[in-house]
Amino acid sequence: MGLLLLAAGALKIGHAPALAAAIAGYHLLPAAVVAPLSISLPFVEVFLGLYLTVGLFVRFVGWVAAAQFGLYALAIASAVIRHIPANCGCFGPDDVATADWPHVALDLLLGALCAFVAWRAPGALALDGKLKKA
Amino acid sequence: MNRKTLALGSVALLVVALAIAAIWYVTHPAQTAQVQNASKTVTQSTLAAGAKAPEFEASTTAGLFDLAKTTKPVFLEVFATWCPHCQRETQVLNKLFAQYGKQIAFVAVSGSDTGMDGSSPASQADVLAFAQKFAVAYPIAYDGQMTVFDLYNQGGYPTIVIIDKKKTITYAASGEIAYADLTAQIQRVLK
Repeated sequence: MGLLLLAAGALKIGHAPALAAAIAGYHLLPAAVVAPLSISLPFVEVFLGLYLTVGLFVRFVGWVAAAQFGLYALAIASAVIRHIPANCGCFGPDDVATADWPHVALDLLLGALCAFVAWRAPGALALDGKLKKA
Repeated sequence: MNRKTLALGSVALLVVALAIAAIWYVTHPAQTAQVQNASKTVTQSTLAAGAKAPEFEASTTAGLFDLAKTTKPVFLEVFATWCPHCQRETQVLNKLFAQYGKQIAFVAVSGSDTGMDGSSPASQADVLAFAQKFAVAYPIAYDGQMTVFDLYNQGGYPTIVIIDKKKTITYAASGEIAYADLTAQIQRVLK
């Protein structure tokens, strides 16, 4: 999960215009929100991915990531329901996948996995566990 | 290092990363303008597949295009020179034009009042510079009145519309569309 978020965020860094266009394509947020979101979202994803990967603050980060995937699923579902041909924008500018029901299902699955990780945290290899012992 | 220090350090690191990104965009006005332009939601035309294609003309790099006079199916793209999706889509359209250029009338029409740098106004020169920069092989036109955009846009850039010989829209979508998907739509209209 961590590596997935890390890759998703890293592939978006430096491509704010493409991400802004993808977010605006959902017709959900005003331009004043889309612009700063397109700049900050990749960094947030990278940080969430990094912490999930090393197992630091897994409970908190896991719930945040689960909520994030839930929001993605809602946004994509709303585009599908409204018949808006939005670009997914999931993995940076080279990802030209269209927002569709399989993407909604995938995001819900990833959200559920993040929630499970948060619920069962810390894992055996997580840094959280080692810090507790120290 | 305890958990509290790590937590504070993490938050500080995220804030620094976001601050660096914000400063970079503020000090690069062209990029900022691109982000601001890309953030605007475009009002969508009510046209969809199955509708009669409204008449339009465009003065392209290959001469005058007149929908009423063309006897071939039409592949129309409405683009913005500043739009990164449109810039990348040029490679897809070049490939399609090389493959289907003899059977289908390709025409790409500009549909934004902003130029390639994201801040200057759109112009004929800007569209020609776009064509040169991205080695556009298909006919491309500047539409200062944005008439074609008003008629056809599907809520985002680029908008791609395919029109059959009977002037009926068979496909209308926006966003970066893959070569395979467009090929399938073209094959449908050529049957």
